[in-house]
Amino acid sequence: MAEADGGEDAKAPLSPPIPSGKDTAWFDVSSLLHRASHDLRNDELITGDDFNLFAAMSALEATWHKGGSLAQTVYSCIYLLRPERTSSHALLHSFCRVIRATCSALVSAVSDARTNEEEDLFTMAYGLPLKANGDEKCLSMIHAVDETLCRQLKACSAPVSEKAVLEDIEPLQTHLDLEEDFCKAVLCRIRFRKHFYHVLTCLRKPQGRGLELAKKHIISCLSELDSMLNTEEFLRHNSACGTVKNEDEKTTASGCQPVGFDSTLNSRSAAPTPPRAIKLLSWKKAVNYFQKLLHDLGVICSYPLDPVFEGAMRFVVDIQKFQPDLVARAHIQLLLVQDGKLYGRESLFAVICKAALLPEGAKNHDIQKNESVQQLGQLLITLFRVLCANTAWQRRKLGKILQDWRIIYVQLELAFRKVFGEAASTPVEQDLLLRVCKHILIWVEEQTYWIALRFLMLGFELDLYSTDEYCMVYWYIYIYLIKLAEKTHLKIMLSNDSSRRKSKKKKDFVKDVGKDYQVPPVVQLIQCYIYVAQGLMMMLASLRNENKIFLCQGPFNSEHERFVQHFEVLQKACLPDHASFFSFSETVANIRFSTVSMHNCFKDAQKIAKDLRGGFANNPDRLAELRRIEQVAEHNHVALNLLCRLGSLEPSLKVSFDFIHHPHFATASVKRS
Amino acid sequence: MALEFDTSEIEYMSYSGEHHLPLIMNLVDQELSEPYSIFTYRYFVYLWPNLSFLAFHKGKCVGTVVCKMGDHRHTFRGYIAMLVVLNSYRGRGIATELVSRSIKVMMESGCEEVTLEAEVTNKGALALYGRLGFIRAKRLFRYYLNGVDAFRLKLLFPRPEPDYSDSIKSVADESEEHGDGMPPEERIIQ
Repeated sequence: MAEADGGEDAKAPLSPPIPSGKDTAWFDVSSLLHRASHDLRNDELITGDDFNLFAAMSALEATWHKGGSLAQTVYSCIYLLRPERTSSHALLHSFCRVIRATCSALVSAVSDARTNEEEDLFTMAYGLPLKANGDEKCLSMIHAVDETLCRQLKACSAPVSEKAVLEDIEPLQTHLDLEEDFCKAVLCRIRFRKHFYHVLTCLRKPQGRGLELAKKHIISCLSELDSMLNTEEFLRHNSACGTVKNEDEKTTASGCQPVGFDSTLNSRSAAPTPPRAIKLLSWKKAVNYFQKLLHDLGVICSYPLDPVFEGAMRFVVDIQKFQPDLVARAHIQLLLVQDGKLYGRESLFAVICKAALLPEGAKNHDIQKNESVQQLGQLLITLFRVLCANTAWQRRKLGKILQDWRIIYVQLELAFRKVFGEAASTPVEQDLLLRVCKHILIWVEEQTYWIALRFLMLGFELDLYSTDEYCMVYWYIYIYLIKLAEKTHLKIMLSNDSSRRKSKKKKDFVKDVGKDYQVPPVVQLIQCYIYVAQGLMMMLASLRNENKIFLCQGPFNSEHERFVQHFEVLQKACLPDHASFFSFSETVANIRFSTVSMHNCFKDAQKIAKDLRGGFANNPDRLAELRRIEQVAEHNHVALNLLCRLGSLEPSLKVSFDFIHHPHFATASVKRS
Repeated sequence: MALEFDTSEIEYMSYSGEHHLPLIMNLVDQELSEPYSIFTYRYFVYLWPNLSFLAFHKGKCVGTVVCKMGDHRHTFRGYIAMLVVLNSYRGRGIATELVSRSIKVMMESGCEEVTLEAEVTNKGALALYGRLGFIRAKRLFRYYLNGVDAFRLKLLFPRPEPDYSDSIKSVADESEEHGDGMPPEERIIQ
């Protein structure tokens, strides 16, 4: 093959074509590539347009996080595939190393957490080079590049007299008057990668020891993202390509393609059948994704890691309000359970004992070695894992584990009986064992009803119920809330009983018996919800019975089939034993607007919520919760009164149930359509 | 823009041969986002021709439904694969009629349930199937690669009432043999 000089337009002869089918042939183009690369200086391909590469990589990375596979996103960038080929360019090389190290850390985190069933493409590496030799030194390399860029920046902004001293600094690109801004653009992108990698390493430190530092790096990341957004206009106006793409399509701030690789390669080459082309996130959306991810990680870092069961449950449930993505959720899971302990600090048996309101010493009891008790610990880990999953998958898994919790109750009962019968111990030891067994069993029942309630409530969040089905859903919720209140109350009473009997002073005991018994606030709160659920169930039943609306009617089946389908897992778990379609039908069959108890439901809920405000004065979350209950109760009470007064409904009047005050308890409204 | 026509002018036909295949393909290619190959269409209409229906208005094909049925984890179940009605013909019950015809055949063929997936944003489809008795059984997170979730919709047919007369007779026979005179027990319904 003839070697052409740079600039000469001589055509290098191609080797003869290799036929490969009726109308196609392969051509060897190595000579063309060879000639093209000769025309360029050694690193001309990769200077000056680095920020386009960095921006495109962010878009690819965010698309990966949101459900694509590594192969179709991040690793469509050729620079990542052969680490040795970027070694001559410090900036690109260190960038590629930190990208690979970040991806590797995230794949490892998500794989360890194992809460990603539906997002299973995330961890598939397909043999791609996730770990290259030397990637662990990425931070020191990035640091060196950061320093070089700082010197470069200093050189641009230095007065002319000083510039001679800084002659050895190589500019990023050819327009010297734009060099300062280009430096800044590259610098914020490099620094973002550095801080982001630090966030991930800090989050993985055991027992949450790195959270404070992670928070600092999160703040830095957010600041660098803001800087990136600020460079957008500059880059757009000074882009060499000059094309102005649609905002939704451009995957870089400048709108230019990065040099040397095509981030849209996947979408242009993949077939319409699976594994299909995926639409890349735009640059702006990628930046927004990282801002949200960092926000969610920041929330995680701010949570007090008190190894208390109720606190951990609230943490996991509350954070779902932000709809965190897979990466954030995986890190919650990793933080929660480490080495089989809550936050890596407290054994699960100790956590259960405390949650079951057992005295401090109970956590050292030998019963924790019992196989059934250990299985209970495993069930608790599974519960945490499920609660960290996306809500759609979470609901399905909660339905499945309900059976496991019913079974473990029976197993524990049998195991405790056996241990009790076999143990040759003193009356004091027997008494402690009895207490431990009773408290644990009550706690297991309480959690089983909590799981069943969460299963039902998530149905509202996921929009799985039609309005016709609300009546039966609230009936089930009503039953479960009553059971939950019963078990919680019993647990507290058992605990009070134990501590009363411990007291050696007879006169204290006599004094206690005489006192007016106050229902514990947490039980009163559940009572509020019971009244609201009951009121809603009755209001919906009245509308069905009197106004003939929200009836589950269809040409192919009846309400019975819908009931069976929706509540199959609950029925299978026999939770509780007597709940059936028959008992539901019987309950609602004769409810009318004239039924007095319905009218009192919402009023009673309001009253209890008001009385509880004092008790929860120092708890802003609980106060917000009470306010929501009061609003739901009040608005429903008004709607109910209106419906009673109206009697029959004119065709122009529409009743709707919306979740404007509470995500799980609807508010009725009557509107003219 | 909706066309003016009387619903009585719509003719419904069961899939009856190769001549119907291009009509179905054109309609689906035109209206649905999923590109199917010809093999996909043939899979459905060759194996279950009695489950696919077409709607015609003055000789023009304006709607179609394509389904299948079979054993799925020990349940004999119907599946609605495609349902399309031309935009200008929507809102007049054509889709409901097409789907209902398929479901009737499934019911008569012994299916226990019918299922399909629909985007959570497809309000029209969700309302249609809701009126027919489908429930939203599951939500599938990011089911579609454009990031949209889907609902798995399911319709459960009523289970046939058990025939008590035979069981009473056989228990009565048993009790005569054992002479215990116990009253017949209700058969346990699954």
